[in-house]
Amino acid sequence: MRAGLRRFARNRMALAGAFVIFCVVLLTVTAPFLFPQGAFSLAGQPLQPPSLRFPLGTDALGRDVAAGVAEGARTSLLIGISAALSAVLFGAAVGGVAGYYRGPIDLLLMRMTEFFQTIPAFLLAMLLVVILSPSLLSVIIAIAAVSWPGIARLVRGEFVALGGREFILASAGLGASGPRIIFRHLLPNCLSSIIAVGSLLVATAILLETGLAFLGLGDPNIMSWGLQISAGRVSLRSAWWVCTFPGIAILLTVLSINLIGDGLNEALNPRLRER
Amino acid sequence: MSDTAIIRLSRRDLLLASVFVAAAPVAEAQTPTPRRGGTMVMLVHPEPSTLATYAVSAGNIPPVTTQIYEGLLTYDWDLKPAPALAKSWEIAPDGKTITFRLQEGVTFHNGQPFTSADVQYSFMEVAKKVNPNGPVILAELTSIDTPDPLTAVFNLANPAPYLMVSLSSNNMPIVCKSVFEGTQPLNNPTANRPIGTGPFKFAEWNRGQYIRLDRNDRYWKPGLPMLNRIIARFIPDAATRSAALEAGEAHYAAYSAVNAADIRRLQASPILGSTTQGYGMTAAITALEFNMRRPNLAKKEVRQAIAYAIDRQFLVDNVLYGFAKPATGPLSSVFSTSGFYTDQVRRFDVPDRIDIANRLMDEAGFPRGTDGKRMSLYLEINSFGEQWLRQGEYIKQALAQIGIDVTLRSEDTATWLRRCYTDYDYDINEPFYSAGADPVVGVHRHYVSSAIRRGTTFVNNKDYRNPELDGLMDAATREPDPARRATLYHEAQKILVEDSPGAWLCEVQYVTIFNKKLHDHTGPLGAYQALDRAWLDR
Repeated sequence: MRAGLRRFARNRMALAGAFVIFCVVLLTVTAPFLFPQGAFSLAGQPLQPPSLRFPLGTDALGRDVAAGVAEGARTSLLIGISAALSAVLFGAAVGGVAGYYRGPIDLLLMRMTEFFQTIPAFLLAMLLVVILSPSLLSVIIAIAAVSWPGIARLVRGEFVALGGREFILASAGLGASGPRIIFRHLLPNCLSSIIAVGSLLVATAILLETGLAFLGLGDPNIMSWGLQISAGRVSLRSAWWVCTFPGIAILLTVLSINLIGDGLNEALNPRLRER
Repeated sequence: MSDTAIIRLSRRDLLLASVFVAAAPVAEAQTPTPRRGGTMVMLVHPEPSTLATYAVSAGNIPPVTTQIYEGLLTYDWDLKPAPALAKSWEIAPDGKTITFRLQEGVTFHNGQPFTSADVQYSFMEVAKKVNPNGPVILAELTSIDTPDPLTAVFNLANPAPYLMVSLSSNNMPIVCKSVFEGTQPLNNPTANRPIGTGPFKFAEWNRGQYIRLDRNDRYWKPGLPMLNRIIARFIPDAATRSAALEAGEAHYAAYSAVNAADIRRLQASPILGSTTQGYGMTAAITALEFNMRRPNLAKKEVRQAIAYAIDRQFLVDNVLYGFAKPATGPLSSVFSTSGFYTDQVRRFDVPDRIDIANRLMDEAGFPRGTDGKRMSLYLEINSFGEQWLRQGEYIKQALAQIGIDVTLRSEDTATWLRRCYTDYDYDINEPFYSAGADPVVGVHRHYVSSAIRRGTTFVNNKDYRNPELDGLMDAATREPDPARRATLYHEAQKILVEDSPGAWLCEVQYVTIFNKKLHDHTGPLGAYQALDRAWLDR
């Protein structure tokens, strides 16, 4: 693990990504002090171009775009991380049980996984949000519900590959229980792949969240980059700044998370170590 | 030989047409010579789901069907009745009998002559049974006598002053009896291939693309229509619709066929013009309605405070892009022409409105808590588009000034309607009202206690019960004298604004965008009127 981090630190692109994400986190922490009024307050005249007072301009209702970007960062990170985490936990549980016990349980769980994989993710997420009615929790649930199958298939594959190895057979022969083998021997050995794929899930979760908010399926009481873009879209030709800055924020954040994910993948994946 | 014939024909028609142009109320700077022929393209959005205008009241149907069907009457710029299929009419002194004399020599598109039997059938068998406005507009109509083919006598149980303003081709289209007899009107084969008496005939409907209407060569108004063909095009994407107008591919877009945000840009285009005329019968108002079953909102002071807290001009400028004006009460100011409107009511647009609102909240017994909040309420976001979310976001901020913490709730249309009109599980709702031609048609049902009907959408869901108001509106329904009716409505507006079962926000102003090559396109009823006089320049 430590060697992996050292390898990660040698990857310049990954480091750049980590730096941007650090800045985004810093922004979410300082947002309440920088913009005590909140992102929804009518701070000034509508549709003002960027100026000293409003560095990123104001939107059609006179709200500070900079405050929206800062609060949107918090929403994106919150939803991205919690949705990815729930997806990883659920996916690993399903994949682990299927890969370790095999047989009919495997068959059943994998058919269920495939069922979720064959439905277009975004449509399923939209449907779930509409059914649960838009709120922070329902958006997280919807994103997690469409993101877990990948993790489940990954973990099952790793478990199946590791299941026949000597050290697993040996611990089974010594009388270790199923859960003990799963948690002490199998999971630690595929943790690196889970971390790499899980970090990429955060990026897709953020994209899903902004997409949902853009279509008006986000929580209307919470500022989000997708909501900002959807509100600014009608004035795109007259007020470019309303859409552009949240758009750049999405681009940078998602790109950075992907770079980090790639870096982690290269650093932790033994097969790629020699590159 | 044939060339000269054409020239002679067009010269005579030009003469005729110029008479109509001279009478045209939309004056052109210099009137160019009207020209016959050509194909006009209008944008309609969204595509209608049906053309059965006699049974479905969706607003995207009439731009097409009013070219095909005609009504007994049409309306002039003061929205007073004018002849259409009825040449003249006579109302008995007691207001209970209306005699219509019909135009001679009118035929339907299938060749059948138009007679009083068609009028009788259209009202008694079609409109009264399947028209969504039938139960209100035709409530007092008991029978129609047809003493001869060109006379129809309406017998009413009580005077119905709103009836005479509700007989246009949009409200009450006249259908052909022989086509409809013995069929279910909704499943009639001509529901989507309409047959009427209008200036244009239905030709084809290519779903998802366009509806084509061809000139009715046997139209009863001599020399009309001017155009050879009308194409109603359906373009789902708003930006593409605007681009089609800018490129000259489409000539006409009314109502919401163009995004409000695009209107200023289109107005600047050298080939396009715009008008706000022709929407007098729409009387559209945005509003808030309060659930008076909630203990907080049962207090009049709280409802008035909310009405004071909202800056209507801000909504006009920033949510409706300037295409609206602040509303003062439940009736739109377009009812000034009939004298029904008054602004002599409690006014919420006073300079110290926020102070008044805060004082009212104190008086109602809701002091600010340690966090500055007096109460928390939910606002249900109207699910018909983005504008409503913007309005909700503004209202949340506006009510924060008087210590009301608003949570926005946006749900799909079915859930929203069920919550607000069946379950009554809401605090504040943001609906949109179209009054129609007369307050009886689209205003009464939001406020009278008899319209508290669980499960019926867009009626009195507020649980507002005021016997005095019920009495005034009842009297206004039956009062034939316009001046006395106006007095009743003035009184009703005062009471409603004082009680504030809702807060009336903006009177929506629609804009028609047209190509400058298209002339004489806008009459008093705007897009809900036949384009028989419209013509295209080369």
